Amino acid sequence: MSVDLATRLIDVLGGLLLFSTLLILAAGQLFRAIYAVAVQSVFLAIAGAVLGAATGNPDLWIIAGITIVVKAILLPWLLIWVVRRIQIPREIEPVIPINATLGLAAGIVVLAFRLSASLGPVRQAITGNALPVGIALILLGVLVMASRRKALVQMVGLFASDNGIFFTGMAVSQGMPLIIEIGVILDVVLGALVMGILVLRVRSSVDTDIADLEDLRG
Amino acid sequence: MEVHKPSLRGAVWLAHLLILGGASAGATLALRVLIGGAGTLSLTLPRLFPFAEMSLSMDGLSAFFLLVVTLVTAAAALYGPSYLGAHAKAPLVQTFALGGFVACMAGVCCAGDGLTFLLAWEGMTLASYVLVIIDTRNEENTRAGLLYLVMAHAGTAALLVVFLTLSARGQGFDFAALRTAARTLQEPTRTVLFMLALVGFGAKAGVVPLHVWLPKAHPAAPSHASALMSGVMLKVALYGIFRLGFDILAPADGPLPASWGWTVLIVGTVSAVMGVLLALQQHDLKRLLAFHSVENVGIILIGAGLAMLLSRGRGAEPLAVLALAASLLHTLNHAAFKGLLFLGAGSVLSRTGVRNMEELGGLARRMPWTTWLFLLGAVAISALPPLNGFVSEWMTFQALLLGGAKLGGASGLLAGVAASMLALTGGLAAACFAKAFGVTFLGRPRSVHAEHATESPAPMIAGMLLLAGACVALGLLPGYAMRLLDGPTQELLGGLGPSAVVTARGPLVLSGNGAASGLEATSISVTAVAALLALLAAVAWVLRGWPRRAPRRLAPTWTCGMLPSSRFDYTATAFAKPLRLIFAAVYRPRRAIARETGPSPYVVRRLGYTGEVVDLAETMLYTRLKRWITATAQGIRAYSTGRIHGYIAFVLVTLVLALLFFARV
Repeated sequence: MSVDLATRLIDVLGGLLLFSTLLILAAGQLFRAIYAVAVQSVFLAIAGAVLGAATGNPDLWIIAGITIVVKAILLPWLLIWVVRRIQIPREIEPVIPINATLGLAAGIVVLAFRLSASLGPVRQAITGNALPVGIALILLGVLVMASRRKALVQMVGLFASDNGIFFTGMAVSQGMPLIIEIGVILDVVLGALVMGILVLRVRSSVDTDIADLEDLRG
Repeated sequence: MEVHKPSLRGAVWLAHLLILGGASAGATLALRVLIGGAGTLSLTLPRLFPFAEMSLSMDGLSAFFLLVVTLVTAAAALYGPSYLGAHAKAPLVQTFALGGFVACMAGVCCAGDGLTFLLAWEGMTLASYVLVIIDTRNEENTRAGLLYLVMAHAGTAALLVVFLTLSARGQGFDFAALRTAARTLQEPTRTVLFMLALVGFGAKAGVVPLHVWLPKAHPAAPSHASALMSGVMLKVALYGIFRLGFDILAPADGPLPASWGWTVLIVGTVSAVMGVLLALQQHDLKRLLAFHSVENVGIILIGAGLAMLLSRGRGAEPLAVLALAASLLHTLNHAAFKGLLFLGAGSVLSRTGVRNMEELGGLARRMPWTTWLFLLGAVAISALPPLNGFVSEWMTFQALLLGGAKLGGASGLLAGVAASMLALTGGLAAACFAKAFGVTFLGRPRSVHAEHATESPAPMIAGMLLLAGACVALGLLPGYAMRLLDGPTQELLGGLGPSAVVTARGPLVLSGNGAASGLEATSISVTAVAALLALLAAVAWVLRGWPRRAPRRLAPTWTCGMLPSSRFDYTATAFAKPLRLIFAAVYRPRRAIARETGPSPYVVRRLGYTGEVVDLAETMLYTRLKRWITATAQGIRAYSTGRIHGYIAFVLVTLVLALLFFARV
């Protein structure tokens, strides 16, 4: 695969990743957000495969495979299972209105592009505009976590942010060492498991949502 | 009093004997470096961390401080088992903490790189913390331990900044790399690092105003551990000041910055005066001794500060050598007599169970060995000839007076002020120990505990005798002690060693040689003074047996027809009263008299007296600091909402701000 083609593909995939994050932010319903993050993970895996083909680094193929299996299938399935299990209202309860969140998101994307202009030396020919997209993905994921009340949506935000970190890592360093990528994925899986169990247990024992735990503060 | 199983006592004894063996080995090694000319010993440790080598290295300065550590350790190891057997809780834990404490102190002195140094330093803090809180478990000791831990870690934080700054520049932790890194520093950076080091080590050494933990924590430990903490641990902190100030941070050539010498000299003077003033008003024997440690650290720092002011780069400056030698010698001397005094106080404590000297008295007949040994220590710490305290303080005086004259100007004036303050300190220390000794050992017993006291067992006496021997030897033969100081001073200042500068004729005389004119005028022969004193004593002894005209008659003191009771004796509070009045501006004394009257207000049934003095540093500085921290914490609490998404929003804002800040175009 030629370098030129790879750059263009990465640019297109970056746009799609950004779009899927905006879908998460705009989602008014829990399942939509989960599907959006699954789609985002698929795009990320494709980006990894494209980079792997362009650079000939076999590690990137492995990471792409793991991403498909874990992030696009396993974790969304876990989330959906938890939602079905606890039977909560499936509306997203935003802390600030969805429209305002989208406005903030636009600001963050602009900021990310402006900032990365100052990081010129880091931008490499092959990955084009991947760096600002990666930064924007990370920050937007955190924005999802900060602006939604439900613990499950915060988990979705965590996955989106994590996807952003992966994309940045791939784009900037053309693949971090395999062991680090696997470690990061394990972290996310563990976090998801712990949070899922916590949500279930809190629900089954005191019949309340995690967000209500703030009432415990003395 | 608890009775321990024989196997437990055997284990405690065995562990203490091991510590004693280690101390002897360490002392032998140190003496080989100091006198045997073994050069610098070094040892590479197994690699624990991927980023740094660890090593031990012993040059003259390390060896000298190791000698200080081992001297008191040996005495404490002899003394410990009997003391623990008498009244300790968890003697095995205490023994192991003691062993770890001593090992870490030796490790700090012999560290060859910053990492080993900091690890041993932290180990020293933690082990001594265990010793502080374990002996008597009560609320007060727990708080003292916590205060100690907080102060020690605040100090370590300052040290971390220093060491990490240097190691980042030097690409390594070993002292050679740090030294090279320090050479490239700008003058202001260097001074900031030294001040940080001074704060970090000063918090541990107990210099005013960082001393508040010391009089609370030291007395709480078992007495032989108090002896080690006061006599040695403070010195290990001073080792850090010497090592960084004169060696690692020193500029490649030219004198040390004047601001360093000024700061150290002023801090030392303030510590000396405040330490002894506060000691005067203490009626708890061990706390009084702890305050005297603040004073003596001040005296050591006076010598060090003067040496910094007088030093001229690597060239020889006899007066600087004299000041540094005085400072180092006082380090060794203070370890010997403060160790002796703490062991003596521990002996009193273990036989009576009382630390408040108002409840003691009359121990001279009941505990003769302890009494004489404590008296010897008291004479030494009061800087009276012919014991070792006099030697080093006299040398400090010589250096201050002659150095002040040589420096001239503001520095000279400062040296003069320091000299007069040192004189005041010496006088007040003598008054303080007249009180401590007189009230504790003389007169009549003021409580049943004191009345039924008996002499301590032989091993405890042996531990004290070891240190008493060191006091006498260092006092009578200071000329030989100078040879111990040759290595350290030549490493730090270069040029002549103190044995060439200080001793004029053999082991006898304490004076300058080849130094500035006028040094001979202040020379003194301690041995001759001792001989003179011995002669006077002999004359008094002979005259005592001279036949008198009237026959001798023994009778009780006339007390206006009342039965004499021990309540008539002079108390410690009363003894310190005149000084409390003179220095009222510093003490801010408060007293309350409670009268309990009968049916008529003119019939007083009972009078209660309570009085207290304040530590100015505590009220002026720490109380305010505490109030400020509490207020800030309350302010922060308002933002601690407990909402998870709120916290995540903080993270987001911080991230964006950090990006904006670091990625500016």
